[in-house]
Amino acid sequence: MVSFQGNDMSTPFFELQHISKYFAKVIANKDVSLSVDRGEVLALLGENGAGKSTCMKILYGLYQADEGEIFKEGNRISIKTPRDAMHHKISMIQQHFSLVSAHTVTENIILGNVKGRINWKEAEQTIQQLADRYGFNVDVRKKVQDLSVGEQQKVEILKSLYLDANLLIMDEPTAVLTPQEIDNLMEFVKDYSKKGNAVIFITHKLKEVMHVANRIIVMRSGKVFGNVLKEATNEMELSRMMIEHSIEELDKGTDERPKGEVCLSVKGLTVAPKNAVPLLHDVDFEIHKGEIFGIAGVSGNGQQELCMTLCGAMKSTSGTIRLNEQDITHLSVAKRITMGMGYVPSDRHRYGMVMDMNLSENMLLKASYYGTWSNHGIINRKKLAETTSAMLKKYDVKAPGPYALARELSGGNQQKVIVGREVEFCGDFIIFDQPTRGLDLGAINNVHSAILKEKKHNKAIMLVSTELSEIFALCDRVAVFYKGEIQGIFRTSELDSQKIGLLMAGYTHREVV
Amino acid sequence: MMDKKTRDILITNFFAVVLGLMLSGIMILFLKKNPFSVFGILFSSMFRDGYTIGEIFVKATPLIFTALAFAFTFKASLFNIGAQGQFYIGSITAVTVSLLLPTALAIPLAIILSFITSGLWGGFIGVAKAKFKANEFLISMMSTYVALNLMNYLLRTVLMENKGEYPQTESLARSTWLFKIVPHTRLHFGFILAILAAVTVWLILYRTTFGFRIRAVGQNQEAARMSGVNPEKIYIISFIISGGLAGLAGVTEVNGVQHMLLQGFNPSIGALGIGIAILANGNPIGIIFASILFGALHVGGTIMGQLSGVPSSIINLMEGFVMVFVIISYYVRRRWEMNRDKKLLMEGIA
Amino acid sequence: MLINLFSRAVMMSTPLLLGSLSEVFSERTGVMVTAIEGIFLMGAWAGFTAAYITGSLAMGLLYAALAGLLVAMLYAYIVVTLKQHQIVTGTAINILILGLCSFLQRVVFGVPLSPLTVEPLQKIAIPLLSKIPFVGPIFFNQNILTYSIYLLVPLGYFILYKTSLGLVIRSTGENPEAVDVSGISVSKVRFVTVSISGIICGIAGAFYSIGYLGMFTTNMIGGRGWIAFAICFLGNWNPIGAFVGTLVFGLAEAFAILMQANASTILPNELFISLPYILTIVLTISRRSFNVPSKLGVAYYEEH
Repeated sequence: MVSFQGNDMSTPFFELQHISKYFAKVIANKDVSLSVDRGEVLALLGENGAGKSTCMKILYGLYQADEGEIFKEGNRISIKTPRDAMHHKISMIQQHFSLVSAHTVTENIILGNVKGRINWKEAEQTIQQLADRYGFNVDVRKKVQDLSVGEQQKVEILKSLYLDANLLIMDEPTAVLTPQEIDNLMEFVKDYSKKGNAVIFITHKLKEVMHVANRIIVMRSGKVFGNVLKEATNEMELSRMMIEHSIEELDKGTDERPKGEVCLSVKGLTVAPKNAVPLLHDVDFEIHKGEIFGIAGVSGNGQQELCMTLCGAMKSTSGTIRLNEQDITHLSVAKRITMGMGYVPSDRHRYGMVMDMNLSENMLLKASYYGTWSNHGIINRKKLAETTSAMLKKYDVKAPGPYALARELSGGNQQKVIVGREVEFCGDFIIFDQPTRGLDLGAINNVHSAILKEKKHNKAIMLVSTELSEIFALCDRVAVFYKGEIQGIFRTSELDSQKIGLLMAGYTHREVV
Repeated sequence: MMDKKTRDILITNFFAVVLGLMLSGIMILFLKKNPFSVFGILFSSMFRDGYTIGEIFVKATPLIFTALAFAFTFKASLFNIGAQGQFYIGSITAVTVSLLLPTALAIPLAIILSFITSGLWGGFIGVAKAKFKANEFLISMMSTYVALNLMNYLLRTVLMENKGEYPQTESLARSTWLFKIVPHTRLHFGFILAILAAVTVWLILYRTTFGFRIRAVGQNQEAARMSGVNPEKIYIISFIISGGLAGLAGVTEVNGVQHMLLQGFNPSIGALGIGIAILANGNPIGIIFASILFGALHVGGTIMGQLSGVPSSIINLMEGFVMVFVIISYYVRRRWEMNRDKKLLMEGIA
Repeated sequence: MLINLFSRAVMMSTPLLLGSLSEVFSERTGVMVTAIEGIFLMGAWAGFTAAYITGSLAMGLLYAALAGLLVAMLYAYIVVTLKQHQIVTGTAINILILGLCSFLQRVVFGVPLSPLTVEPLQKIAIPLLSKIPFVGPIFFNQNILTYSIYLLVPLGYFILYKTSLGLVIRSTGENPEAVDVSGISVSKVRFVTVSISGIICGIAGAFYSIGYLGMFTTNMIGGRGWIAFAICFLGNWNPIGAFVGTLVFGLAEAFAILMQANASTILPNELFISLPYILTIVLTISRRSFNVPSKLGVAYYEEH
């Protein structure tokens, strides 16, 4: 274990000592001790599932530790609920914002902080002033559901500021921001900590850590693995501390020029609901066989709608979609599946699997209309189980067998099942929508090698991702989406993260290249 | 497949029934009667002769159908609260067919037509849900009252007996009666029909792609849609089948038991069907057993009335208590499971 | 005659509005009180029994409230604390209450020779206001339960939209997590709101026994608890909407009674009795519910 003491030997602002937390199926935290000082930005680094969120939720009172204690400025304190945490001026902003989308910004911020009769005008004024003071450009009378994700995050932050928080805990705050919004956030964090407040920043992104943190704590498998000052380390070392085994470098394949004939052709695709902003506008692109075509952009800019219209779950207003020369624009989902379209969805819980069904049945999801495992509508359970077992083996899925429930598997293994299912049973075209979200590095590697293997099999692949490193690592060409439109289609070699960041933020092709 | 989960279900349901009965026993105290002697008489009398035992299955028959009706749509995460009304529609159809065609041919015709009419009555709810995203809970609830009034109206007018004295139909010709399967009892062919229906429903749900799709829609509608399933079609079809099943109870009661149609008979088989479906965790085979249990409660309650002077409302009381305890047992089982997992984890660490 | 019809409508609206108002509040926290029919019945029984035994209608209302509270608390315990399924639990409780009321009726009164009655709530004419032509006799010559709803509707609206309590209630049904992280107990909010609903629904049920008919029968609620439930939906979870919806139904019901009383031989009685139910079906289909509380019916699992 690598550990340096900070130069300042005074009592830390907040400290967790020997915290352990056991859940029904997993040890989330084991003997975790860490501290943060006033004016310090502490990064809590680690893979998904390392236990970072858990110990912070304990600090914020959402969870109760099974062992261990919490200290503030040397004094032991008890935090049983978020109310207690707020009493100690701790505030936490989670990955999934806890905002009421149907309510306004004002309603959200004063929730729980006001008593009796509400004077709405006064409340709005106060909140607006607070927002202006920190340079947040937000209309406090707007409903949260009408705000962009970046703005919603600002509302979350405002809520903490309204409560006069001295310790701000942020859980993966940059996951949904554009590069420019990330810069804004970093500025705020620096500014806030200069005022004598502390920030704990949970993340798995090394670049941000090196950008803004003063000190870094690395967690692995529920334990603290490293505690270093930023000056004393670098990305390589941090990366080594985070993961257990080395990740092999993957070979993208040398030739970036699209080879093979056009497999998928999209022309003028538009989704424009009545009286609303178009979700997709005049989208044109082609994907060749043997090519990985990236769709980049901050989430919420039309990628979901693109995937949905391609697979048939959403109707387009105009435009055509052609698969291997055939017009599939008006075909049903079932038809497109039989034509060989594969789709690994971004939200596997919602779209990819039925968690309470077993793995065999989840396989059947794909092909219940095929007839592969059924005879006149009656399921051939034996054949299905055999195929499922073979697939589990091939993709190295850690599962008791084909009759295990989907929810019993870890996230990484669930994703392997879905990837395996789509890849094994699809035809020429397959969509991967944020396939590595929420996975640990080992699982990410697995998915990436599966994608590259399919490229070698001459499939046409569309990869939607918000992780630029993934886009650059895998894609031959990339289209950047902003507000439902393509800002430009490039070969990945033509771009760097600055250029792509600008495109993602709405700058046009001409302004950037 | 006696895994821990099934074992838990059997144990907790057993205790739920026992607790439900105990609580009912306590209520009997308020009548200034001795619950022990009352229940004692109950248990000894319930199996006193073939006729009484037969009654248990007679009572269970329509319950199997209404429970299947609720369970079928429940598997698609839909709520058909209108089984009672669909039962009435089925009854009306069955009695009409039997009155118009007083021969043995009426029986298969009644079965088919009742399934169709009550299926359509239920299907209407499915269409409302599919096309208009309407709340099926409310509509199915209200449709029962409409069906009830329709039946009352018909009994008062078109279907009324020739005497014109009471709002009920003429007695049905003997040839339209469902034949008895056990002599000296009232147990009729309808029970066999119910068993067949339960087995068929089980096969459909768990062994066919169609049933698979219904369950997929019920458990994760969006994933199902992504897999090519059309949830709206599923809504409509499940409500048709569900309504049809409830309507078949009409055939069994009209042609098998009452041999006529009158007001106010079997007023709660719809709601009880829901309770039974829950007790059986939605499993069609479990429904058979749970229905028999409720049939036994019904017979028991009647005996209590005959021999101990306990009012018939004790039946609803027992049923209600048992249902409440069964619901609580869901919670108990979940706690057991969580504690078991946590214990395993702790042992793994030690 | 028209005045009679409207006056009747206002009167028949009373329990429906009480029920739907309380349902609005409960559902705004995310809990459907599917036991509403049973709570109405329990209130009707308790109200009647207490009124008959003590001779005081006030006592009757008190006990009706108490009975409603107890049933609601049982429902809330199973649904909020034990986090069980709302529709299933409500159904079970409705069956239980059905048996319980009938049973208790026998326990308390045995088998009476002639039906037991009490003198129902009297109408109280408000001086001056009741003299206003047309409007006066309709709105200001009613019993106190009806007068109470004149206060409860604006009060309900005020609480829901202009107080912090209302904000908490509305947020709980939309995103209980947001309420949880603000340090407020979601379970407490739901439990208390449902319990208070029980009190109001108990009184609403008592309307049928001691406010209107002056007697008790086990089928006297006849689905009206469910209509109040439906009105909450159709009124868009808003006290004003509930008010409008209730008036429409009250009118339908009064109209039905009027038609039946005048022995209309052209159209059958049963059609008029069915009117409120058919109306509910039609409205449920035609209205797109805009403001369903997002997490209505979903149990919330606090992780601490």
